[in-house]
Amino acid sequence: MTTLWPRLEPLLPRVSKPARYIGCEDGMQRPTAGPHLTSWLLAYPDTYEIGLPNQGLQILYELLNERPDASAERTYAPWIDLEAEMRTAGLPLFSVDTHRAAGEFDIIAFNLSAELVYTNVLNCIDLAGLEVRSAQRSDADPLIGAGGHCAYNPEPLADFVDFFVIGDGEEVVAEITEAVGAWKRTGKRPGTRDTILRDLAGIEGVYVPAMYDVSYDGPALASVAPKYPDVPALVAKRTVADLAEWPYPRRQLVPVTEVVHDRLSVEVFRGCTRGCRFCQAGMITRPVRERPAAQVREMVTAGLERSGYDEVSLMSLSTADYSGIAELVRDTVTGGASDDANRISVSLPSMRVDAFTVDVAAQVSRARRTGLTFAPEAGSWRLRQIINKLITEEDLYGAVRSAYSQGWHRMKLYFLTGLPSEMDPDTEAIAHLADACTRIGQEYTKRASVTVSLGGFVPKPHTPFQWFGQNPPEELARKVRLVRSALGRSRRVQLKWHDPAASTAEGIASRGDRRVGAVIEYVWRKGGTFQEWSERFDLGLWEEAMAACGLSLDWYVYRHRGEHEVLPWDHIGAGLHRDFLWHDWQDALAGHGLPDCRWTPCYDCGACTEYGIEHMVASPVAPNGGSQGTGQDLATGHLVPVELRPRQLAGAGAPSGGGA
Amino acid sequence: MSLRLRVRFSKVGKIRFIGHRDVARVTERAVRKVGLPVAYSQGFSPRMKLSFGLALPTGYESDAEFVELPLVADAVRDGGAAEPGAKHAAGPVIVCRSGTHGPCEHGLPSAVPSYCTVAEALSEALPVGMEVSAAVLTDGRGPSLQAAVHSCGWEFDIVGLEATAAAKAVADFLAAGTVVTERVHKGETVSSDIRPSVEVLQVVGCSDRGAVLSAELSATPRVVRPSELVPALAPAHEMGIARRTHQWTSGAAGRAEPAVPAMCAQRHKELISG
Repeated sequence: MTTLWPRLEPLLPRVSKPARYIGCEDGMQRPTAGPHLTSWLLAYPDTYEIGLPNQGLQILYELLNERPDASAERTYAPWIDLEAEMRTAGLPLFSVDTHRAAGEFDIIAFNLSAELVYTNVLNCIDLAGLEVRSAQRSDADPLIGAGGHCAYNPEPLADFVDFFVIGDGEEVVAEITEAVGAWKRTGKRPGTRDTILRDLAGIEGVYVPAMYDVSYDGPALASVAPKYPDVPALVAKRTVADLAEWPYPRRQLVPVTEVVHDRLSVEVFRGCTRGCRFCQAGMITRPVRERPAAQVREMVTAGLERSGYDEVSLMSLSTADYSGIAELVRDTVTGGASDDANRISVSLPSMRVDAFTVDVAAQVSRARRTGLTFAPEAGSWRLRQIINKLITEEDLYGAVRSAYSQGWHRMKLYFLTGLPSEMDPDTEAIAHLADACTRIGQEYTKRASVTVSLGGFVPKPHTPFQWFGQNPPEELARKVRLVRSALGRSRRVQLKWHDPAASTAEGIASRGDRRVGAVIEYVWRKGGTFQEWSERFDLGLWEEAMAACGLSLDWYVYRHRGEHEVLPWDHIGAGLHRDFLWHDWQDALAGHGLPDCRWTPCYDCGACTEYGIEHMVASPVAPNGGSQGTGQDLATGHLVPVELRPRQLAGAGAPSGGGA
Repeated sequence: MSLRLRVRFSKVGKIRFIGHRDVARVTERAVRKVGLPVAYSQGFSPRMKLSFGLALPTGYESDAEFVELPLVADAVRDGGAAEPGAKHAAGPVIVCRSGTHGPCEHGLPSAVPSYCTVAEALSEALPVGMEVSAAVLTDGRGPSLQAAVHSCGWEFDIVGLEATAAAKAVADFLAAGTVVTERVHKGETVSSDIRPSVEVLQVVGCSDRGAVLSAELSATPRVVRPSELVPALAPAHEMGIARRTHQWTSGAAGRAEPAVPAMCAQRHKELISG
């Protein structure tokens, strides 16, 4: 075990942002390695400033280093300038903690937060000095693992990753550590790699692709079946029942250079049952598990004192739904300080507009105002019923008014386009909503403005929309133009949109099967790394790769799936009954809403009943009232006419959700 | 009287790769961790009002970085008069202990930083490689640190250059009337004569990389960096690591540094009694 620092140091003056590679964070650990320890290298396959704040990685980093039988270090994808220097100098991928070579670890475990990082995963494995394909790696090589939300469809990376963890990682990493530790103590003898992989496949929540046979029927997937009787046919996700038992990270890493979320983060609950049908996170992380308010306060107080931060983010998928949110924000902002200067800024990601009240706005604004983003997701009430984001225009205007009245000048509205059954009036309604928001703002300030951020919808596995055919880039681009022209010359609304071409590449990886692995490898071999960086993204490369592999974009991305089609992730269990998802998809098309089961009777999606766990919420009613917080009668939804009869795009030959 | 706490710190080792803005951020967090009663700007986004000396290029080391922290009124009291456990609204009171570095004789709880423990506490709160060597009070009068510094002392090595070759290069350099070098400034290549900015230049030893040189380079009209000297001294070689050793200002008795460890007690006494 040697440090590569002396070889890395001379390269750093030549690269941009060298602080990405030095570690030195407050909270960094300097674990020792040894034959008795299972060593993990936790890898985030994107730049340091994006990967460092990742809470999942930090939680596992602490948990593993607390164990007497494990050690954990971290690595991030080196930017292209350092990568070139490393390849020239023959320097392998290294940890930022002790600058050890990645190849010296027992396990390299990747966090998969987005599909477009897949080519970076291959690049990191290659930079570690390993064969990218699992089958070609030898017994002594590190095991390659992966987890995170994208692991819920592991198939596109199945040829490269030895094992996937499905669901919450807190408990399962202990079991993996023990299994790999036992194997390590036998000396990783030649020919035993299959034995450890089979052992891992026996751990609940662990998927080992090599233990499954895949068969096809033409372009269709026929089956993914276990090779051995002791390997599970369905790999069910892991779920920690009580967040109170996991007050992590206790020592959040405080970086010495700027990162994307440079503040204290405290997870207030995990899971969400709002039931937004496009949202994978809300489907796969059920049920809702709130952290007790006293523990949240403790973690905030201790975290701020230790880190020196003056800003805290209360994290969850929908923080305003936290029981007692207004009191929590008030206490956090004040934090015992008696004067303005020492007040703590609170940022609330994922705020539902029906829950952003004047009260919450006033509490937040007592300190430095943090950026404010609301996500109506769709422009019209009709379409919001279809996606089950049941917030009314009045809800949005109320939230916007709360914000402007409490001193905000600017806010961001997030929308998706290319949603199922989306018609042009729905798309244009985005502009009307944004415009109406700025008019409310002008009652309070001349500087009132709104930024509209428009994302192309990519259907995700384990959601009711998993059967929906994604809009081609031309159609998404047309819808962006629709919004732009509907906005006219408004200088108060700034429109930003994600590259529609990138949505297509994301779509390939999102719902791809094992054959897509060859596409990812092709793109990587052609230099297609950092594909989520617009200056590095190239759809042409993906199209070329699909063609080279004999795969069709229409089949993988643009086509609607049928009820009985075998989906590539059918052998992965997110806890949701397949027929629940299908019925919710049919309800969506019929315009039926679905209430939040935290505060209304259970409709048995499967997430609780299959696992014998329950919601853990402190309040039996929605903090801000009503079913879905809107007070809307959900039963009237189906009176709104809805159609899913996509218009054929001239030339594209693929269905889209649009109608003219 | 609006007092400022002037802090001298180092930047050595891995931490030399963080940028100037990063230094400001980690310093701000360290000040909050220690709980020093510093003043904030007014307005919607109150920020800590830190003022630094000359920016250090990313990748350079230093023994002589400076930052001034403006203190709130009444932030400093004489130790003899301090109430045990006294706290200012904006944080603990800084208590004078008249230059004694031993255990606190006033029986103050350890949570109240005394004047002489500020340096230790800040060092503890800063990343490894950033150590505070002096913390002195100033009255906040006079020019800013940036404006006051007229030259910097440096040590740097040149990779693969032997001491004898270095000595000859230095002699040639000093003998030359003008030394015109090129550098890229805002995307454009600019030529300038750096010879007038080099006040002192000598070979002082050898590191495991190559010859070590010491230099004093003026900060006006513009700051000349050691890396600009290397192409003129040894065009085929790269600079190794440069370390700033001093930042010089003009004092009453010739040149002086903004803060040195020994100044701590004396300056402080004068300010409190005056």
